[in-house]
Amino acid sequence: MIAVVGLLLGIVAGLFLEPSVPEPLQPYLPIAVVAALDAVFGGLRAYLDGIFDDKVFVISFVSNVFIASLIVYLGDQLGVGGQLSTGVIVVLGIRIFSNVAAIRRHVFHA
Amino acid sequence: MSDDRQRPAQPAGATYVGLLAQVMSHTLDEDYETVAEQRRRAGKARGTVGRLALPAVVAVFGLMIGVSALKTEQDRPQARLERSELVEEIHQREQRYAGLRAAENELATHVARLQSKLSDDLRDQTALSNRLELLGLQSGALGAEGPGVTVTVDDAPRSVGGGEGLILDTDLRLLVNGLWKAGAEAIAIDGHRLTALTSIRYAGRAITVDYRSLTPPYVIEAIGDPNTLPARLLETPGGQAWLSLERNFGIRFDTEPNASLTLPADPHVRLSHAEPEGPR
Repeated sequence: MIAVVGLLLGIVAGLFLEPSVPEPLQPYLPIAVVAALDAVFGGLRAYLDGIFDDKVFVISFVSNVFIASLIVYLGDQLGVGGQLSTGVIVVLGIRIFSNVAAIRRHVFHA
Repeated sequence: MSDDRQRPAQPAGATYVGLLAQVMSHTLDEDYETVAEQRRRAGKARGTVGRLALPAVVAVFGLMIGVSALKTEQDRPQARLERSELVEEIHQREQRYAGLRAAENELATHVARLQSKLSDDLRDQTALSNRLELLGLQSGALGAEGPGVTVTVDDAPRSVGGGEGLILDTDLRLLVNGLWKAGAEAIAIDGHRLTALTSIRYAGRAITVDYRSLTPPYVIEAIGDPNTLPARLLETPGGQAWLSLERNFGIRFDTEPNASLTLPADPHVRLSHAEPEGPR
């Protein structure tokens, strides 16, 4: 419950306070969002599995965002940023789909 | 966290699962299971890292989504603007391209016209230069060569005719006019080309051609048909007069056909007063 409140609060803050993202970080925002999405769905699945843990969630969230951004940053420096972004998104996308499928099984018992 | 407890189902190096398969099968962070396992063994309740950590992280997540959405929304008008600018530019370039193509076609037509004009001009030029050559030969401005006759005339020896047998300028003029009449196309006396303005006169005690004194014997070269020229010369009044000169005064009058004569140009062809009539 408190997590949902926090989520809504964050969205509202992002939409209405219009915090400015530093120019050099802007290209990594979308990939960071995808990585965060992966961590969130992972946490949700763990919660439904009954093994959720605050600490693990926080750590996985931060490290996901950080590593995804780092990989893309590295790719940009090497001149293969576009390809690495695609790779990261593919891997994270697979994980998200699988986790969502597991969540669906929990919710609909199917 | 120790590794042997973390992956009980997968001993290290036993079976290798492909990268993609692993990505597909291990979708949940294994830490959740590991930590839950630890908890179960330790018999502890679920611990937390402070009440506020979870909501804070979720709020950050929301913030990121919000900012991303906002940014995409903000960028949209600009992207649309750029797109329309690009479309506009494409249209402009297309128009410019069409204009250039039209100009190119026009220029190609122009080039074709100029080329046909050039070939016309070349034809005209050839005709003109042929005509110029003909006129130059006729007027004596050009050197001439061809078959013809060589007429050699000389004063009679002093012993014959008592010194009366000298060639006069009128005699030479008669001979030259006879040659013209007999069909000669170019004539030179002692290498001096005769033109319409060349004078043959008696000055002092010598005959001058074009104001140059000559001494006998005089060699007259005439280009024409070598077969008919000598006979036709004798039919002219000039030829007749020279026959009588030869007979009565012992003046030398030899006519020989020549297969190849070369006559120089008159270096003084120049008109001071005459101009072409009418518009040029």
